[in-house]
Amino acid sequence: MNCKDFENVIHALVSRRLVDKTKQLEALEHAGQCLCCALRLDEETKLTERLQAFSSTLQGQRAPVRVEEELLRAFRESAVASSARLFGVSRKRLWRGLGWGLAFAATVAIAWTVTFLWPRLHPGSSKVPSRAANHLSPAPSEVSRASLAPGQVGPRAARNGAATPQIAHAGSLERAAQDESAAELTTDFISLGTCDDSQCMEEATLVRVALPAEALLALGVEAGNDYSPEGSVLADVALGSNGVPFAIRFVNYSGGNNEN
Amino acid sequence: MAGLTELQDEQLLRMMQVGDENAFTTLYRRRQGGIYRFVLEMSGSAPLAEDVTQEVFMALIRDSRGYDPSRGPLAAYLLGMARHHALRFLKRDQTYVSNTQTEDGARDCGEAASASREDPHSAMSRRETVQSVRQAILSLPGHYREVVVLCDLNEMSYEDTASVLGCSVGTVRSRLHRGRALLIQKLTGGVKDEAGHEAIDPNRCLV
Repeated sequence: MNCKDFENVIHALVSRRLVDKTKQLEALEHAGQCLCCALRLDEETKLTERLQAFSSTLQGQRAPVRVEEELLRAFRESAVASSARLFGVSRKRLWRGLGWGLAFAATVAIAWTVTFLWPRLHPGSSKVPSRAANHLSPAPSEVSRASLAPGQVGPRAARNGAATPQIAHAGSLERAAQDESAAELTTDFISLGTCDDSQCMEEATLVRVALPAEALLALGVEAGNDYSPEGSVLADVALGSNGVPFAIRFVNYSGGNNEN
Repeated sequence: MAGLTELQDEQLLRMMQVGDENAFTTLYRRRQGGIYRFVLEMSGSAPLAEDVTQEVFMALIRDSRGYDPSRGPLAAYLLGMARHHALRFLKRDQTYVSNTQTEDGARDCGEAASASREDPHSAMSRRETVQSVRQAILSLPGHYREVVVLCDLNEMSYEDTASVLGCSVGTVRSRLHRGRALLIQKLTGGVKDEAGHEAIDPNRCLV
């Protein structure tokens, strides 16, 4: 070891950080041979002793207790504030999540209502009407399949004394018409000229009304044997979605040219 | 609390982050002395050491997630913060240093207590040594002073000191070497040592 090497390890040597025993011995051996390095070692050793003496006087030095108390107070406040902040955030998230959940539930409910409930409540407004329209026009049985025209009357098949509903939506007419076909005698629908396309029939609502018998004549229907001007006749009026009647048929009415 | 003293700093920090007051207290009691002494040795001011110690732990309470374990131990992180605050305080308010003399009396009480068991002459000698070393350390330039304080007074490794100071180990070594040379120079009265011998220039006999 030369003086330069000795200088490089001298601090580690005096502060006992030089863990390499071989180097330690070499350094001490060099100090034994070199006066300058021996004096340097002495200087460094004295300085280290002085620093250690100074350091030992500070060993017991600590921050006053009031600092700890102050910090603990601050820590508690911080913990409370952070938990409050955390709760605030979670509450906001809760409300936001609840809002989204409610919106989703409402959407599902509306979709379910539209898909399933609406056709049940308003059978004539969706898929059934097209079938109902078939019944409204030439429809179920042996009734004339000709297009509706004023004055055209065709008897229905059967009779039945059972009461029929006063108002029937077109959507329910499939079943109703089957019943009616077996129970009532009706004419074909007579167009009133207020609707020319089939769309009207699909959206039709059937209303049973009692009309003065004179209406038969006004519509160009031939009077039957039991015709009496003072009497009344039952009729099913097909109403459009706007409430305008566009077709009519007579119920339990046998015209003059019809069979019994 | 007894179990907490077995835990490492990082574990205590994690517990503290979830609001464990005992973990914070344990961590504080373990590390506050080193921080307080470091600032005291750096500045010679007890009020500054107190302020900085409080400030360091307040910062830890406010934002404990600023500590990155991959960059070194928590103790080094805390000392680094203390150094930063101390330098800031010292730049802002020089009165901390000028108060040093007035605090000496208070600190001497502690030294006197420890020296009371020695005989009067050696106690006097020891007291003078301590005074001279303190003055010599405080008169060092800051970047030498902090290395001497950390490595020699607090016996930190070069690596930990480098972590605290944010520099390389080589820089720590060279600063320590230079700082100690300056200390020797100051403690030996410039060029003379206590015995009146000329101090050795470390570079003069390099072969």
